[in-house]
This record gives sequence, structure tokens and C-alpha cells, in this order.
Amino acid sequence: MAAQSRGQWGAAGTGLAVFILLMTFLVIPVGKVIYVAFVDVNTGRLTLLNFADFFNTSLFRESFVNSIYVAGMSVLFAALISMPLAYFTTRFNFAGAAVIQTLGVIPLIMPPFVGAVAMQLLFGANGSVNLLLDEHFGFTIPFMEGLNGVIMVESIHYFPFILINLSASLNNIDRAMEESAQNLGAHGLRLFRRIVFPLAMPGFAAGAALVFLKVFDDLGTPLLLNVNNMLAPQAYLRISSIGISDPMGYVISVILVAFSLLSLWTSYLATRGRDYASVQKGGGGLMKRDLKPWEKAGAWAVIILILLLVLSPHIGLLLLSFGTIWSFSVLPDGFTLAHYGEVFSTALPYITNTLLYAGLAALLDVLVATAIAYVVWRTELPGRKVLDYMGTAAVAVPGVVLGIGYLRTFHDFNLPIVGKPLASWWVIIVIALMIRRLPYALRAATAALQQVAVSLEEAAQNLGAGRFTTVRRIVVPLMAGGIAAGFVTAFATAAVELSATLMLVSAESDAPLAYGIYVYMQTAAGRGPGAALGVLAVIIVGVATYLSHRFVERTRAAHEVTARDG
Amino acid sequence: MQSQKITIENLHLSFGDTHVLKGIDLEIAPGEFFAFLGPSGSGKSTLLRAIAGFGPLPRGRILIGDEDVTSEPPWTRNVGMVFQSYALWPHMSVWKNVAFGLEERNTPREEIAPRVEQALETVGLAHLARRRPSQLSGGQQQRVALARTIVVEPRVLLLDEPLSNLDANLRIQMRRELLALQRKLGITTIFVTHDQEEANTTADRMAVLDAGVIQQSGPPMELYDNPVNLFVAGFLGSANRIEGKVITDKGRKMFVAQGGITIPVPDAEPEGAASAVFRPQNVHLMTPQAAAESSTVCFTGKVTHSEFLGSLIRYSLDLAGSEILVDEPHQAGQKVLPEGSEITACITSNQVRILRQ
Amino acid sequence: MKHAFFKSAGLAAVVALALLSGVSARAMENKLVVVTSFPKDLTSVFKKAFEAKYPGVKVEMLKKKTTAGVKYIQETASNNTSDLFWASAPDAFEVLKGDGLLAKYQVKAKGIPEKVGAFPINDPDGYYKGFAASGYGFMWNTRYLKAKKLPAPREWEDLTKPVYFGHVGMSAPSRSGTTHLTVETVLQGDGWEKGWALWKRIAGNFKTVTERSFGVPSGVNSGEFGIGIVIDFFGFSSKATGYPVEFHYPTVTTLVPANIAIVTKAPHPKNAATFIEFLLSPEGQKLLLDPKIQRLPVRPELYKGPAKNLPNPFTGGIGAKVKFDVKKSKARYNLVNSMFDVMITYRLDDLRAATKAIHAAARALAAKPNAEGQKMLDQARALVAALPIDEAKSLDPAFAAIFKKKRKKATDKVTGRQAEVEQKWDEMVKANYAKARMLAEKAAGMAR
Repeated sequence: MAAQSRGQWGAAGTGLAVFILLMTFLVIPVGKVIYVAFVDVNTGRLTLLNFADFFNTSLFRESFVNSIYVAGMSVLFAALISMPLAYFTTRFNFAGAAVIQTLGVIPLIMPPFVGAVAMQLLFGANGSVNLLLDEHFGFTIPFMEGLNGVIMVESIHYFPFILINLSASLNNIDRAMEESAQNLGAHGLRLFRRIVFPLAMPGFAAGAALVFLKVFDDLGTPLLLNVNNMLAPQAYLRISSIGISDPMGYVISVILVAFSLLSLWTSYLATRGRDYASVQKGGGGLMKRDLKPWEKAGAWAVIILILLLVLSPHIGLLLLSFGTIWSFSVLPDGFTLAHYGEVFSTALPYITNTLLYAGLAALLDVLVATAIAYVVWRTELPGRKVLDYMGTAAVAVPGVVLGIGYLRTFHDFNLPIVGKPLASWWVIIVIALMIRRLPYALRAATAALQQVAVSLEEAAQNLGAGRFTTVRRIVVPLMAGGIAAGFVTAFATAAVELSATLMLVSAESDAPLAYGIYVYMQTAAGRGPGAALGVLAVIIVGVATYLSHRFVERTRAAHEVTARDG
Repeated sequence: MQSQKITIENLHLSFGDTHVLKGIDLEIAPGEFFAFLGPSGSGKSTLLRAIAGFGPLPRGRILIGDEDVTSEPPWTRNVGMVFQSYALWPHMSVWKNVAFGLEERNTPREEIAPRVEQALETVGLAHLARRRPSQLSGGQQQRVALARTIVVEPRVLLLDEPLSNLDANLRIQMRRELLALQRKLGITTIFVTHDQEEANTTADRMAVLDAGVIQQSGPPMELYDNPVNLFVAGFLGSANRIEGKVITDKGRKMFVAQGGITIPVPDAEPEGAASAVFRPQNVHLMTPQAAAESSTVCFTGKVTHSEFLGSLIRYSLDLAGSEILVDEPHQAGQKVLPEGSEITACITSNQVRILRQ
Repeated sequence: MKHAFFKSAGLAAVVALALLSGVSARAMENKLVVVTSFPKDLTSVFKKAFEAKYPGVKVEMLKKKTTAGVKYIQETASNNTSDLFWASAPDAFEVLKGDGLLAKYQVKAKGIPEKVGAFPINDPDGYYKGFAASGYGFMWNTRYLKAKKLPAPREWEDLTKPVYFGHVGMSAPSRSGTTHLTVETVLQGDGWEKGWALWKRIAGNFKTVTERSFGVPSGVNSGEFGIGIVIDFFGFSSKATGYPVEFHYPTVTTLVPANIAIVTKAPHPKNAATFIEFLLSPEGQKLLLDPKIQRLPVRPELYKGPAKNLPNPFTGGIGAKVKFDVKKSKARYNLVNSMFDVMITYRLDDLRAATKAIHAAARALAAKPNAEGQKMLDQARALVAALPIDEAKSLDPAFAAIFKKKRKKATDKVTGRQAEVEQKWDEMVKANYAKARMLAEKAAGMAR
């Protein structure tokens, strides 16, 4: 750790600037939201009255219970999808492992709300699947009835989080753990229950907590599925129809934030002190065995079924984007390119807005994240850990809450040149996107920085380079791959963010892609172009994800050199 | 605890296309402390694991006592194995770790507690029963692993490099304790190591493996003094080696090599190219006069290097192009012969082995 | 690599600066800001045409739900940036008019009648103007009806038939201005008691109560449910887009104009006036016939030509039966919303269960008549239809004033009473439905 007082001023200035940024655009708005929830609208005094009202109203109680139910069930189904897949890859020498790895990526490139309408058409009460079931077998399955629809869309989208964590956990288990248990007489289910599962639990719990949090906070999917008796849509509806003075929206925000923190805390507890990797020496994963032919066939059958399920929103979206009319039939009546034509002629502003907002947000993210990472890990500034906490804390703030916070804090704040309140200016959307993506960019920047050995900096300083020069010529270039990956990931996720965007878009000309999709899906003739826009969004995210992987790989290769020296 | 003999008949084992064990034949007597010794990749761990039932299905037979266990899964064999990494389960306390095997055997509850306590007593860790493995030192972890295995009273004990993760001093202490424990329990034990000192000091008998084949098996001293090939000779300690050939000279068999080296060898020894192998500590430095008077084989050479090894001085001698190591016991005050000095080194002929690969 | 990094950073900075300057320049352009609840399908057509006719004026459509739009104009009143308010429901305009947020305007265009159906086209006080008329009815998915062998409904009464159980969708009056007008229309047309009874019997056949008015045509279009109670242009535009749907006006309906008004202290009043004239001109009116829009123009002459495929509201065929009383509607606006929500929306499951039992009992008793069973069935029906208040109470200003907001808000002292009242109603209704169900089941049992 380079601890020099020279060059501290530059670092201090940077740290201060970031601190002010995060205070203004994260701490204060969220704090305000929490504060308002505890204030009596009439008297202005602190009170629990709003919460009492909330829990006294059956609609809100129902929404609260529903949100927990949906999030919990989504975790359950995501786990059900993930477990066989994790089992196949870690337990057996299975050629389909590559397929499963790809499965792990596909759902993540399409935000859940984009596929929601398509899923409705495929799995709804009179959707493709049920029409076929009814015709041939005489029964239907209520896949998409009410809350089921939300659960289905969310679990299909989020199961990779659990799959990846579970697989990693299982792969980290020292083979000797299993063998020693077998040696002492355990095998099969008992072995799994007593040894394998407890050792894999922490990783699984971390993934599950994350999924719970994300589903609990999601606004776009329930809205598009017309499910409004859940917390996030209720907050949105209250604020947008009754106004920013309605206390219920704030009460809901507090509950959302509280549960987010609870999920993160649970995840932390589950993994703390159970860092089994440090006690296990070998790794090597579970013992793999070969599959008998009928087992292989069974495994492939399960994988193909899951693959179809996972791809269904993508397939549905494609069909919808190319389809003419799709009504009460298994497939659209006909196919056309007209929707794409419309997208590229009239919907172009959505696309350009998205590129601009996401690009700016991602750029700001990597700048701020790099600054925070450097200040926290490479300087001795007092209180620098606070920046790290603030930057990471944003992950617990749902988009809805951030949006409400900005509306409340900035709607009176008129900007001089622009001539309108900050809350109505498009830049506020960029800021919201930036804050929401900051935790991920920060993680990428921190990881990238930690791969740069301190001795490399010290060598530069030993040869006469000042701190800023060292950062510019040594540290940042060596971090570049990780920074680029962070940029691309921030860009990709910002490009399809909907929750905060919905709250903050005040004029359609300022709207990005996600909003455009939402608006299009609300008109009879708009489903097709909306789907076409959705396909575009998926392509953007997919390309970005791929690029991000490439950057990370390139950095890893580049660091082979430094690793030798470090 | 009925300890059993172990018989291995013509065992072959392959990982995919790689043939790792090539025709292993071995018999281990009940109650024996037997070592598998060899360099990494020799197959010693693979052989041990095969006895425990881990790894691909081998061809050939493995018998424990009179029972053919070759195709039985690991959990039915009742062979206790201590893993190199100890493999203590981090989510269970020491107590739970040790009790595991008994629980798997559906031992009645009342019986488990006293047996676990007893096992922990035996390894001296009764006071740590409630701890978690992450809170224990390496040596303590190893003892818990041991306790875990012996508590189920297996018919055979398998130890996979149990000492290699410990530091040097602990290693010596632990191997003595292990041996004492084994003697007390009287259980047939196989001990895998790459360290010949460990094998020498603990084993009743041992087998030296290389490239999946047993090179030689027998008591340590036997292998040390009468190695059957150059590999065994070199593996079990420092060995000097001189290339030459065996000829018949005046009706007597002699080994001759460059530099005028002539060593009488037994008549049974066939003629032909061979290596003469002998240990540095069997070579003595003598004055030329004393050398002439003795009936030993002597040669002279120049000192090229000397190392002070505490209890002895190791000289490197240049003998007509070959390097010979000579170990002289070190007495305090004795001077080290300088480089370049000519010295005479002698060895009695029966200390020399003639080996052909 | 560092060069690339800085180059992209620099480029981004340049782009940002360019846009910032563009934005500030934009603030001073020749503009027209319209707060509207109409969907893009409609607004984009008019925006394009207007900008083509009047180049130099940039039209900005701020899409907001009707209630949100009203809220927005109210909240930004001190710093008003909106020129026009353009929405369907006249009551929203009444609210703004009452708040003094609308400017009076004298229309120059000629040839627009006074009334459409029984409804005045323009605000008699001169604040807001009607530009298109809409009526209410049902749309259905032809494939769905065919597959499930359901007949097409013709009157409201038809929708109460058992055959439609679980096939009908509608929005709630509290969530949709147009739906509110539909509900109020039936209440005025059939009377308070009979009207509510009818609504409850129809609601018993609901599949869902959608959150937004658009949820209904959306559901019918995609075949989620077969029949939707909607405003006419939803049906017309869906059909024109190609969906297999049909629309029909029942006899009890009313035609209500969609309106536009200039906001007080509009920043661009001249442009606003021009837009209104454009909207009412023959050229502008023709735009209403775009397949994505399909609203009834207020210029009668169009019905001979371009609008001949649409029903003609001026020939008395539709909407004349009910003489819509706007004042009555306004007086009990929030109260009606509340009643519908408490009795129907929030208790939909209970209502449906009771209705299902009633349908089953009726079927059983039709096969095997039984006097006592019939009495029980009638009792059950009466319980379902029972109302907590009569019409007189609904029009009592003091009582109606309790219902301040569309959603419950118990912090206000006045609305504290609203929550209380609603809670009482809820209890009554829940008990009634449960009892009705039990009675109907018993009645069915008697018919064996």
C-alpha cells in the first residue's frame, strides 16, 4: 500500500468530488424518501401513521404478501431449473456441459419485461401452448394467470444467477470431502444431504438472495403483465396517478429498500464464516463419472426441455416482431418486415437516446468507479471506506425508489440554462442509470485494480513519476481491460433499465428504448414494433456481453506477464 | 479389530488411454506397516486409492482377507483412509466429524459417544471436540482425520502421504506417533510417501514404485543394501555409480572401469557391461600407505568440492571423469581437505553392488 | 490502449456538450406543448400532419394518464409550461375548469353541430371543445367466441347470461375515465338500483378487472378473454389493425365527446389556438379516420364520404337513449368509483363465486323446479344486488364530499371517514356475497 503524503491532494480532491456526487444523487434522495414516509402529511411531524395506514389497507397488505410470495417462488423455480443443470455439469463427464454454459447466458441478455408480452402470447390462458394442450388433451395449465405469470417470467430470466453460483460452489468442493465420506460408508442421497449440500449451500444462498432482491424490486415485468397488486407497481401507480405528495408511495419505497437490505444481509450471513474454500485444499470438484446411455438420453431430454423454456421469451419475441396479427392462435397469422421498418423510421430517436444515455452513464460509471477503487485501495485517505460503502450501497436501492427520490428532491430545483427543473431534464435519467450501475462498475474496477501489483506503481514512483502520472501511465492502462469490461456491462444493463426510467421520463422525445417498448406495448398496433424494438435491445445487450467477455479474456492474457513478475 | 491381509493380483489400471498401473502383484501380511514409496507419477497413490475403491475399475484382483473387493464401491469395503488434505468437513465440529462413520453404520446412540471420546483420547485431542476444523493446526487436523478413521475399526488403514503437509519437526514427531499407534492397534496399514526417510523409519516392509510398476519390495534395509536396479538404488539414498564391465581375469570375475578401477566380484556375476554402485558412507578416506596395506579396493582422485553437512563432510571426488561422493563423519576440530588435494578412497568389495539397469 | 481510452472519453465529452447546447437551444424554439392522455397512435398522426402544415412549430406530446395529466397541470400551475390539455373524459376538464386552469376560447371553425347524441359537443361555458365523439359498448374476439361456441352479445343484459361466465373483461371506473363514463351511463340509463344490479351481474361473469383501459382491448385482441367492455374506438382501431374482433353499441349507451382545451397562461397561446382550429377543420377531422385511430368525427359531412364505414352519431342511431347528465356524474364521481371498487373490484373473487353458484342453481332449478329452492335463489340474487346506499344519498353533497380521492388515503381527517365508510361497505358486501353463495348452493341442492 503506497502511503505517501505527496500527491495526497489530488486523491483527496477526487475523493471529495465523488463523495459530493454520491451524496447528492444517492444518499440525499433516498434519505428523503425514507424521511417522507415517516412524516405526517398534515402536521409535518414524524409519525408511524403512514405505515399504520399501509398495513390497514387490504390492497397494500395483499401487495406486500404478493411481492414476497412472487420473489420467493421465483427463487424456488429458478432453483428447480438450476439444480438438474448444475448436477449434470458437476457430477458427470457430460458433453452437453458447453450447452449448459450457454444456457447460463441466454436469459440474461433479455430483460424480463421485454419478453413478458411474448410469454403471455405463448403461455397465456389462450396462448399457443394452452391452445395446443386444450385441442389435443382437453386441459390447460394456468402458466400465466395473475402472479404465476410474473413468477414464470422472472424465474426463467434469473435462474442463471443460481446456476452459476451453485455450479461454482459444487466445483469448489474438494474431491476428498466426498471420498472421505464414501470411505466411511456414506453414498447416494445421504452423502448429498450430509456433505455435498451443506458445502454447496453458501454459494447457493448468495445466488438465491440476489434473485429474491431483484424480483422483489422489479417494476417493468408486473406492469407489462398487468399485475398491479404487488409493491413496486403500486408505488409507481400511486406516484404517477396521485402525485409525489402521496405518502403510500414512500412507505412502499421504505419497505422495498428494507427488504433489499435484508436480502443482502442474508446473503452476507450465509457466506461469512462459511468460506469453506479456505479449509478445503484440493478443489477439483465432485467426482465425475460417465453416463450410461439411457442416463445420457434422460439428461439431454431435461436439458432440451429447459432450453426450450429458457428460449421461449426470445422465440415469442421474434415471432411477435415478425408477425402480422397474433390472436387466439398458436402462431401469428402471417409474417412481415413492416414492424422493423417502423422501428428504424419512427423509433430511431429511442435508439439514439438509449445509446446516448447508456453510453454517458457507463462512461461516468467507469470514471467514478476507477476513482473510488483507487482512492479506497491505493491511498491512505481517512474515511475512504465510506466511498466504497456508498458506491456499493446503491445495489440495495430499487429503481422505483431512486426515481421517486429524484422527483421529490429535484422537481423544484430549476436549472439555469436549461430552463426546467432538474427532474424533467433528460440528464437526470443518465444520472439515475449511472447510480444504479455503479456497484457493478465498482466491483469490476476493484477487481481490475487488485490485479495490478502495487510493486508496479512503486517501481514507477521509484523512477520519478508522480502519483497522477503513475495512475495515468501505469495503473489505468493495466486496468484497461477490466475497465472496458465494466463499461460494456454497465452500458448493456443501463440500455434496458426500466424501473427508474419509467418514473423519470417526462417527454417522449427524451425516452430511451425500454420506455419505447413499454409505450408501444400499450397500443393495439404497437405490439409488433414493440417486439422489434425488444429484439434490438436484446441484440445490443448480447453484443455488449460478448465484447465484455472478450475484454476480460484479453486482460487475463495480458496479466500473465505481470503475474510472473508479481 | 481383526486386521486382515491384503493381496493384489496382476492389477492393471488405466485413466482413459493412460496405463497407470501395470501388473501389480503384492501381498501385505496382517498387522504389517507397509509403505508405498516412489516419485510423483509412479502410481503409488493410485494404487492406494484403488484399494480403497476410488478411481476407474481396474483389471486384476484386490483381496482383503479372503474377500475379493475389486468391484465393490468404496462405502462397503470398510477400509479406513486418511487423505493427504485430511478432508475434514468444515461445517461439522471435530466431534461430528469423528462420529460420522459410526452414524453411517447405524451404531446405537449410546455407543457412539464413548467410542468417539475414546478415539479422540487415543490421538490426544479430547479437549478439542467442540472445535471446528478451521480452528485447528495442521497436526491437530491430521489427528482428527486419524481418529475419524480408527473409530470405525476398519480392517485396513490407508494413509495417503499423511505427513507431507506438516513442517519438518512435526513430521518426525508425527511419524513416531503414527508408528506407535499402529503397533498398539495392530492394524494392517499402508502408508504412501515420496520420502524415503519416512518409509525407512516406519515401514516393516515397503514397495518401491516407478512408472506404474513395483520395482522391488521387501524390508527397508534389504532394499537399501541390495537394490535390484539402478532406480531403487538411487531412490533410497545417495549412490555412487561407475560404468564399466565385468570381465574374467585369471579365472576370477572382476569389474573394471576407467582410471584403473578393479573390483573383485562374485563368480556368479555374468560378464558384460554393468554399473558398480556403492554408498558414499561406505567409502573411507585413507592415507596411501594404509590403503596399500588394506585388502580393500582403493582409488585415488582429486577433491573437486566439499560440503559441510553437520554430521558429516561430503567430498566430491573426480575419479577419471566420474564424480564420486565420499561421506566422512565429522569430528569437531577435524580439518576439511581443500579442493584440489589428491586423496585415496577405499571400499570393501562386498559393499559394492553390480547392477545392470 | 490508453490512447483509445482517452479518445473515447474525449469523444463522449464532445457529444455531451453538443447535446447540452442543443437542448438549451431547443428551450427557446417555436413550440407547442400538449399534455395528452391519447396514445401515440393518435398523437403521432396529428403531430406529423400539423408540423407538415405549419413548419417551424415543433409539437411536443407529453403522454400522461388522464388523472396524471390533471395532476401534472395542477402541480406545475405556478410555473406552467403546457399549452393544451387533450383528453377524452369531460370530467377531467371540469376539474381543471373548476380550478381555473383552463382558458376560454372561441372556436372560429364553422359547421360543427351543438350536440352529438344527447350530449353537447362543447363546454357551454366555452372552456373546452369536443373534437371527436365516442360511445361505449362491447368488442369481442371472433375466433374466441367461435372456439368456445359463444353467441355475440347485443345488449348489456346479454352479458349477465351464464354462458359468458369467466369470459368478460373490463377496467374499473377509478382507473379509467372512459370506463367511469360507461358505468355512469348505465346507472343513469337504467336507474341507480337496477343499474348497479346489472353491473354486479355482469361483473359476476368477469375474467378480470384490468388496471388500465387499454388492458381490455389488449386482452380481447390477444384472446385472453373473449368479450371486453370498451370505448368504441378501441374496437374500431383493433379491427382496422387487422385483429379478428368486432364491436357493437348496445341500445343503452351514450356518446361523449373527447375534448381539447387551452391551459391558463399557456406559453404559446397562438400555436395552441392554431392547433385547435386544425383539429376541427375538415382536414384535421379526416385524420380521425386513420385505422389506428377510428374515432367518430364531429363534422357530419364526413359521414357521407370518408367516414361512411363508421356509425353516424348524428342520425340518432346511437347514444340518444340516455340523456347524460354531466352534473350528476360530477357530483358523485369519486363515490361511484369507490362503490365499484369496494363492491366489485376488490371483492371480485367472492362475487364470482356467488355468481357461479347462482348460475348453477338456476340451471338446476330450470331442470327440476322447486318453489323453496326458487325462493332461496331469489334471495341470493337480492343479496348480491344489495346496495349500501340509495341514489338520494349518492347525490347528497355532504356525503359525496367524503370521497376525496380515487384511492384510499386515511391520513386526511375527511378521508379518514372515507376509509371508515368503505370498510363498512366492504364488510356488508363480503357477508352478502358469502351468504348468497351459501343460499344458492342450498337452492341447487333442493333441485335434486
